[in-house]
Amino acid sequence: MSQATIQDFMGAWIGKMSEIVKTVTGTGPIKYLINWSRMYALWPVHITTACCSAEFGALMGPRLDPERFGMQAVAGGLRQCDLLIVEGTVTKKMAKRLKIVYEQMAAPRYVIAMGDCACSGGLFHDSYSIVNDVHKLFPIDVYIPGCPPRPEALLSAIVKLREKIRREEVFA
Amino acid sequence: MSQSSLSREEGIVNKFKSRFTESVKETKIDRARRITVTCDKDHILEIAKFTRDEIAFDHIIGICGVDFPTHKKLEVLHFLGSVTNPDMHGIILILKTELPKENPSIASVVSVWESAHFHERETFEMFGINFEGHPDLRKLLTLDNWEGPPPMLKDLKFPEMSQR
Amino acid sequence: MTSNPTQTDVTVSETKDPATLDVSVGPQHPGSGHVRILMRVDGDYIVSIDPDIGYVHRGCEKIAENRNYVSNIPHLERPCIIDAIHLNWAYVLPVEELQGVQVPPRGRYISTIAAEMNRIMSHLYWLAINAGVFSGHTTIFMWAFGDRDLFIELAEMLTGARLTYSFLPPGGPRRDLPFGFEDKLTKLLDYFEKRLIEYDRIFFSNPLVVARAKGIGILTKEDAIKLGVAGPVLRGSGVKYDIRKVEPYGAYPDLEFTIPTFEEGDSYARFLVRFEEMKQSISILRQALKKIPQGPIARKAPLVAPEGEAIGRVESSRGECAVMVMGDNSDKPYRVRVMNGSFRNLVAMPYLIRNVHIADMPIIYGSLDYWPVEADR
Repeated sequence: MSQATIQDFMGAWIGKMSEIVKTVTGTGPIKYLINWSRMYALWPVHITTACCSAEFGALMGPRLDPERFGMQAVAGGLRQCDLLIVEGTVTKKMAKRLKIVYEQMAAPRYVIAMGDCACSGGLFHDSYSIVNDVHKLFPIDVYIPGCPPRPEALLSAIVKLREKIRREEVFA
Repeated sequence: MSQSSLSREEGIVNKFKSRFTESVKETKIDRARRITVTCDKDHILEIAKFTRDEIAFDHIIGICGVDFPTHKKLEVLHFLGSVTNPDMHGIILILKTELPKENPSIASVVSVWESAHFHERETFEMFGINFEGHPDLRKLLTLDNWEGPPPMLKDLKFPEMSQR
Repeated sequence: MTSNPTQTDVTVSETKDPATLDVSVGPQHPGSGHVRILMRVDGDYIVSIDPDIGYVHRGCEKIAENRNYVSNIPHLERPCIIDAIHLNWAYVLPVEELQGVQVPPRGRYISTIAAEMNRIMSHLYWLAINAGVFSGHTTIFMWAFGDRDLFIELAEMLTGARLTYSFLPPGGPRRDLPFGFEDKLTKLLDYFEKRLIEYDRIFFSNPLVVARAKGIGILTKEDAIKLGVAGPVLRGSGVKYDIRKVEPYGAYPDLEFTIPTFEEGDSYARFLVRFEEMKQSISILRQALKKIPQGPIARKAPLVAPEGEAIGRVESSRGECAVMVMGDNSDKPYRVRVMNGSFRNLVAMPYLIRNVHIADMPIIYGSLDYWPVEADR
C-alpha cells in the first residue's frame, strides 16, 4: 500500500471516530457532566483593568465568599483560568494586553464585562485613550451595568453565566 | 484678615524682588499662603536654585501646563512647597513661565528638585514642551494610549478625539 | 545602600549588561495591580526597575474641560475610588474658593466625618491587598475586607453609595446625618478599636511580617524630602508633615489629633504609620460626633466660576492631593490639574527597589501604597 493510501485511510478513520466521540459526548449525560464541571469551577484571571477592581476585591472577601461558587482566585497559571472579568474602563494600552491574555487562556473561556465602562464606555466615553467597544476585542458573555456594580450584581452575573454554560454545546 | 498676617508672604516677595530685577517679571500674593512669581524662561534654573537654597522650598508638588490659544502662548506652572522650614509650612509658591506656542522649550529643574522627574515627563507628552536637560524625556502615560498631537492642547476637541 | 546616586542611575539604560534578565511584572500578575514593573534582574537581585504606567490613563484632566463644575465630581473622584471623598474634597475646595462660597460649620463636620471614615476604609484596603496579599498573608485580606464592609455599609447609609459617593458638591455635603447614624457609628468604632488589637497581634507583630519588612527599603529623611514624596511615605521617614495641621480645612482646626511619625524609614515604619493613623481616625470621628453643631449643612453655590485660579489641597490616605482649578467665567473649568499622592510617590519606586532581592519588591511596593489608577488619572 502506498503512503498516500495509508494516509487517506487513517484520515477517514480518525474523522469517523471523532464524529462518533462528538455524538456520544455532545449530548445526553456526558454533555451534562462536562458542562457541570465547567460551570462549577470558574477561575478568574488575575488582571485588574480599572476602578471596578475594588468591587471585585469586595467580592473575594468574606462577606460574599465566592469560593462556595467555585470561584477561586488563582495566583499564577493563566492557562488554568477560564474566566476573564473586564473590570472597568479599558484603555488602549490595556486593551492590547487584555487581548494577549485572552488568547493565552485555554478554551473554553468566558468573558464578563463588568461595569458601565466595559459595556459601552461609561463615564469616560469621550476621552482620547478609551476603547468604547470592548466587544470588538473578544466575545463577551455577560454584561453587568453599574458604576461600580455591587458585588452582589457580579455574583448574579456568575450565576447567569452558569446558566449559559449549562445550555451550551460542548464542542462549540 | 489683617495685613500683618501676610508677613511671611511679603518676606518671600521682598527676597525675590531684591535678588532678581529682570528675570522675575511680577510677584503677586493671591491670598494667604499663595504666592505667584512670574519668571523669564531663560533664567528659570537660576530662580529655581535660589528658591531651593535661600527660601527652602524643597519639593515640587506638581508641574502644570496651560494652553492659551487666543494669546498664542503656553504657560508652565511649577508648584512648590516647603517641608524643612516650619515658617514656610502651608505656603504654595507658584513659578509661572510663559512659552511661545511654536517649539516650546524650557530648562528642566530635575537637577534642582528630583521630585520633578515624572511631572516633567507628563507635561512633555501632554503639551509638547521640551524640557532641556531632563535625563529621560519620553512618553509616560500616553505611550500605547494615544498616537497624535499632544492631547491637552486646546486644538484637540471633543468629540472628534474619541473617534480616532 | 549607595549614598544618594542621582536619578539618572535609576532609569533602565539602553546598554544592557548581558548577565541580567528583563522580567516584566505585568498588569496580569497578582503582585502588581494595574501597572507594569519592568525589572532588570541579576540572579536573585533586582538591579533596577522601570515603572511602566498609563494602563488606566483615562484623560481625566481633558474630560474635566468638557463638563460643568458639578458634573466633574463623579469622574474626578473615580481615580481613587477607595478614597473618593478626599479627591472630591480636593476638587471642591478650589471651586468654592473661586466662587466665594463658605460651607457652614455643620457641613464641614459632616465632610470631616465622611473623610475620616474613608481614610479608615482606604487603609483597610491597603492592609488587605498591598500589605497582606502582596506579602502572602491572606488571613489579613479576609479580616480587613470583612471589617471594611461594615464601614461601607455605614457610608451607604450616609451617602447612598458604596464607594463612589459624589457627596460634596460645591457648597457643602448633599445630605445630613441620617437618623440613627451616630449610634451605629459609635458602636462600630468601639468594635473596630478592639479589632485593631487583633490586627496588631496577627499582622503587625507577626514575626514573619516583621522579618520581611524591617530594614527593607530604607528611605532616609533627606532622600524623602529631596524626592518630594508625600503622605505616610514621608511620615515613615521622620518628617512630621500633614496637610490637616499645616493648612487645616474642614473641621480639623477644632479637633485634636496627633501625626504619627516614625524615624526608621523602612517598610515596617510605613506599615506602622498607617496603623497608627487608623487609631487617630477613630479618635477624630469620636470627637467630631460629640462636637458637631446644629445648623444648615450647605449653601447654594452658583453654576459659574469667575476668572482666576485657585489651589486647594487635602491630606488623602496616600498623601497630599492638590487640585488647581482655573475658571473663565463659564460653567466649565478652563483647566483642572490634579496632583495626588500616588503620582508623587512614584519617584520613590525606582529609587528604593534597587539592589534588593526579588522577594523584597512586593513588600516595598506595598509599603508605598501606590494606587495606579490615581497616579494615571
